[in-house]
Amino acid sequence: MTTLPLDRFSLAEDRRRLTLRRGALVAVLAALLAGVFALTLSLGQSYTPPGEVLRVLLGEEVQGAGFTVGQLRLPRAVLSVLAGLSFGMAGVAFQTMLRNPLASPDIVGVSSGASAAAVFAIVVLSMKGPAVSVVAVLAGLAVALSVYGLSFRNGVAGTRLILVGIGVSAMLESLVAYILTQAPEWTLQEVLRWLTGSVNGARLDQAMPLLAALLVFGGLLLGCARNLMALRLGDDTAAALGVRVSLTRLVIIVSAVGLIATATAVTGPIAFVAFLSGPIAARIAGTRGSLLIPSALVGALLVLAGDYVGQFLLPIRYPVGVVTGALGAPFLIYLLVRVNRSGGSL
Amino acid sequence: MSARSLAVEKLWARYDEADVLRDLDLVIPPGRITVIVGANACGKSTLLRAMSRLLAPQRGQVLLDGKSIHRTPPRQLAQVLGLLPQSPIAPEGMTVADLVSRGRHPHQNLFSRWTRKDDEAVEGALAATRITELAERPIDELSGGQRQRVWIAMALAQQTGILLLDEPTTFLDVRHQVEVLDLLVDLNHSRRTTIVMVLHDLNLAARYADHLVAVADGRVHAAGRPQDVLTSDTIRQVFGVESRVITDPTSGRPIMIPLGRHRILDANVDKSAVEETCP
Repeated sequence: MTTLPLDRFSLAEDRRRLTLRRGALVAVLAALLAGVFALTLSLGQSYTPPGEVLRVLLGEEVQGAGFTVGQLRLPRAVLSVLAGLSFGMAGVAFQTMLRNPLASPDIVGVSSGASAAAVFAIVVLSMKGPAVSVVAVLAGLAVALSVYGLSFRNGVAGTRLILVGIGVSAMLESLVAYILTQAPEWTLQEVLRWLTGSVNGARLDQAMPLLAALLVFGGLLLGCARNLMALRLGDDTAAALGVRVSLTRLVIIVSAVGLIATATAVTGPIAFVAFLSGPIAARIAGTRGSLLIPSALVGALLVLAGDYVGQFLLPIRYPVGVVTGALGAPFLIYLLVRVNRSGGSL
Repeated sequence: MSARSLAVEKLWARYDEADVLRDLDLVIPPGRITVIVGANACGKSTLLRAMSRLLAPQRGQVLLDGKSIHRTPPRQLAQVLGLLPQSPIAPEGMTVADLVSRGRHPHQNLFSRWTRKDDEAVEGALAATRITELAERPIDELSGGQRQRVWIAMALAQQTGILLLDEPTTFLDVRHQVEVLDLLVDLNHSRRTTIVMVLHDLNLAARYADHLVAVADGRVHAAGRPQDVLTSDTIRQVFGVESRVITDPTSGRPIMIPLGRHRILDANVDKSAVEETCP
């Protein structure tokens, strides 16, 4: 075959360029994440030289650093990354599936269901520790299911699900407000974690359920990536392309809620991370191709950096959820204005 | 690609809790262009949705090569039967090439890589619809006519023997309407693709159909050659409007002229004019 003139469009070339660009971008995000991770391990209230950090990571006994790095900073950073990956991936899966950036799990009631149940369990039932997490996960799933059920009519339309979800969220939040007025003061510290989300007091063994959820549900979501792309063209077009629309939806909802609920059980509902990650990833990576991985990385960066900012860069220490919340609220307003104007997705 | 047979047998289907199709029978002639017409809410779109598995019928069946499409796995069906819905969604930021490439979806699976054959199908579809030079443009920047060509290109890349289209000319001006319909005739000629579409404009329907189907009250009221179906009697029964039908000197196909209550010239003059052109 003769060489093609330069201006001639080549599909293979176009795809190769896109893959390269995507690969480079994911690599940059991953490198950035690794950089922030290393920073949070070595620089906190005190400075630990990278060499010592490395020795702690390799399991050596190091005087002093063994505690600050191994017991305090490492679990915190690991949990931040895992929770951020979960929130970021689950959020963008919802947003892409329903073709609406407002459709993130924290807006449609999954997170508020989990936190309302946790607050109820702590204050009214005087429960403690892991039992609270279990209640929260179950409640998050139950709220997700009932929002799905309430908005079901000849299939689930994105807008209906969002509106029902916002309504259910509002109800749950007023329930939380009511319980708080009755709450004894000594429970407030524990309750607060379930309202804003925080990685204070993180332990390394808490990472296991997060890791397992990421492997199972994250794997399922990545398996659905191709169908998710087809769903962006509308349910009818996707069905005409041979996608089992209802089944794909169910797998995506179960996986995304599974990720969100598990992460929420460990860190509390870190505000707006699920909501923010997808649109930020779309701004950086463009909307050609799947956003699951870029969004997961952005989520991890948000939580890790947000927690660092909350701990060290502000006059008082704030839990990570306060920082991401302050970032998320204006963005929500921006998106509402923009979506209203253009009806755009992501 | 051999022409596929598609038939609808005793089909009952509901939409919004009302029976829309009532015991409908229809045979689609393979390798030809079938156009479905009918009044608003007569069940045209429901019929097309049922024929492409987007809607499960209450009773009856849709047979593709003699086998019920509701018992065919979706991906396998999508390799044979394509559908362009009435208002597909063009996602922001997606390029023309990306979108047309989606047409290869049913030919791939989780593990199969993109092959040379997929590239050829997509490039062929871009060329056939003359949008190769738009390939790198985001679809949300295109005009309505261009966009419709992109959707048709996606359906072409799917390389199905049968293509169903739900009102492919809606919202297009007359030039783009004719362009789209000509394109579909080209396809029908060059690839022997069986085409079934719903159209609103009766004159374009009669002009472009090999087989014209008039649907009323959830059944096929009349089906056959356009000159046999598009008569003032049928138009009265199906659309509830009086009309005159004359022969288009350009195509030899029938043209209908609706008779409203106003702006009608002297009836005698008009009648003779009709008789002259329509011996």
